Amino acid sequence: MPQTLYPRGTVKKIVKAHANRPLSKNVDILVFLKYALFMQEVMKEAGIASKQAGERGVSARSVRKVREGCLRKFKG
Amino acid sequence: MSESARKKQRLSPRISGDRSAMENASTLYDDLHRLANIAPKPVTPFRRAASAGITPRSAPIRTPGTGRTPRGGPATRPLPARRVAPTTPHAIRALRERANAARTPGHVRRRSGRVQRETPRDALRALSRALAPVSRPAQPTPRAPSRLSRQSALDLSDIDDDDPPAPRLSMPLDDMYDDDSFDEEPPRQSIIAPLPDYDYDNGTAHSIEFGRRARSEDPRLDRMFSKRISEQFGELNDLTINGEEYELDGNFINRRGTLHPEDLLEQVAEEDLDNTTTEIRALTGRRDGRASDVDLGVFGEVEDEEDDPTFRFTIPPRMQAPAMEGDDDDDEVEAEEETQRRVDGSLVQEADDDDDDNDVQAGADMGNDEDTAVLAADDDDETGAFEIAGWESEPNVEDDEDLQAYRGEVSAIDRSLQTPAPETPTKKRASRQRKALHISRFGHEYPSFPAATVKTLANGFVKSQGSKAKISKDTLAALVQTSDFFFEQVGEDLAAYAQHAGRRQIEESDVIALLKRYVHFAVLLLYLYTNTRYMAMY
Repeated sequence: MPQTLYPRGTVKKIVKAHANRPLSKNVDILVFLKYALFMQEVMKEAGIASKQAGERGVSARSVRKVREGCLRKFKG
Repeated sequence: MSESARKKQRLSPRISGDRSAMENASTLYDDLHRLANIAPKPVTPFRRAASAGITPRSAPIRTPGTGRTPRGGPATRPLPARRVAPTTPHAIRALRERANAARTPGHVRRRSGRVQRETPRDALRALSRALAPVSRPAQPTPRAPSRLSRQSALDLSDIDDDDPPAPRLSMPLDDMYDDDSFDEEPPRQSIIAPLPDYDYDNGTAHSIEFGRRARSEDPRLDRMFSKRISEQFGELNDLTINGEEYELDGNFINRRGTLHPEDLLEQVAEEDLDNTTTEIRALTGRRDGRASDVDLGVFGEVEDEEDDPTFRFTIPPRMQAPAMEGDDDDDEVEAEEETQRRVDGSLVQEADDDDDDNDVQAGADMGNDEDTAVLAADDDDETGAFEIAGWESEPNVEDDEDLQAYRGEVSAIDRSLQTPAPETPTKKRASRQRKALHISRFGHEYPSFPAATVKTLANGFVKSQGSKAKISKDTLAALVQTSDFFFEQVGEDLAAYAQHAGRRQIEESDVIALLKRYVHFAVLLLYLYTNTRYMAMY
């Protein structure tokens, strides 16, 4: 059995806990799609920020610097 | 008909009389009426004078002016009206009483009087009248003080006040002055007393507040730990790939400390044990040293402020053993930790052997050994630590049974000396169950997004960008936290969309609406601009 891309149950649990509402079928897949887009954005921005700061690789500081803007970008 | 007419005339004499008077002008009624008018009206002067008093006819006769004038005095006395209107008060009163008696029925009055006398109220009134003179003087004297005591809340003070006067009265005045002179002495004693108290206060203050720092500055401890706790954190940073990015945020420190086992477990799951064992050992050793420090000092609370009460009390001997076991178990399957200690005795012993050998041989890495750290913390004695290390290293050389017995002894010692010892397995479990410890604002527990998924995703994106560098641990931690924030935001947004659609359930359309929404870059710029402007203003 191939390794799953992500734990569906965990995503469902997390979203359900935050939304306090039941989820219909396959909602978690779309949510994970959104999450993957979000992570792509975060990593892109963090890479840019870390290059600007002259760091090697992506550092936690650049991630923290970038994540608020990305979250705001992805706000519904 | 004629008879009825006669009867009507009899029954209604006036109407018939008027008609008859008009018609016949002579009827029996008219005759009688005339007779009444002609005849003098009957008068009862004596009765009316006694009861009703003055009548207009008799008034001129009885007027005081006429009757009392000295001229008419002798002439008016023989008149009978004199007897009718008595002038003396006694006579007037007697006549009024007689008139009142005549007006009110006597038998009724007497009967009501009898009834009233027979009522219990009258009996009680009679009794009270009989007892009043006797009881009244007796009641006030005892009740007056008792009432005061009941009403006031100062009963004791009253009693105390009552009690002291008697001895005071009995005491002579000379003794009173002597007491005053004696009363002046206690303040002198209180003034003298604080001098030793200050010394004691200084001692306690040093021992309580500055003992921690004094411990860290103690040269003996410097040999053992070689640095302070904050410097140990620096070493932790150095161990990690990006040590420079260490933040002094308390949560972050704590999170990192707690994230280590998870990261280690994940790494163990992905990678080989050999690559991580050294790092694990170093981390656990550092962390154990810190935990042992935390046990004693106030710094532990400042550093480990959050949600990890067990971490503060963790005792090295147990802690390292489960950590090592956990690594081994993750390779196998995660077995229960209680049984591990005895079932996996060989693995534990190997780990202990490594550590103990390092301790005995090197001797400088005393901080890595938890037992020595704890015992040194307890004893403040370096020699004792060495002795214990030697004593500890001895059973390790011996057989497994001895080692198991030694394990049991250590656990017993921990339980006796330090209560948190049994909490170490719970702490380990807490670190494993930490994923489920988050609580949303609706009160639901939810697990943190798995770091492995975040890592794979992030690594994929980093590779897509062209850089070969892998994601460091703290970057991964930041990404996990970011993803938690993201899911929180997504959940709230989806709930808002579903509520706007009038649905209780979140459907795909809501997520698609969320996916379609994308903040324009200009809006983000505007937000950033306003934010920075406000930042500049402040």
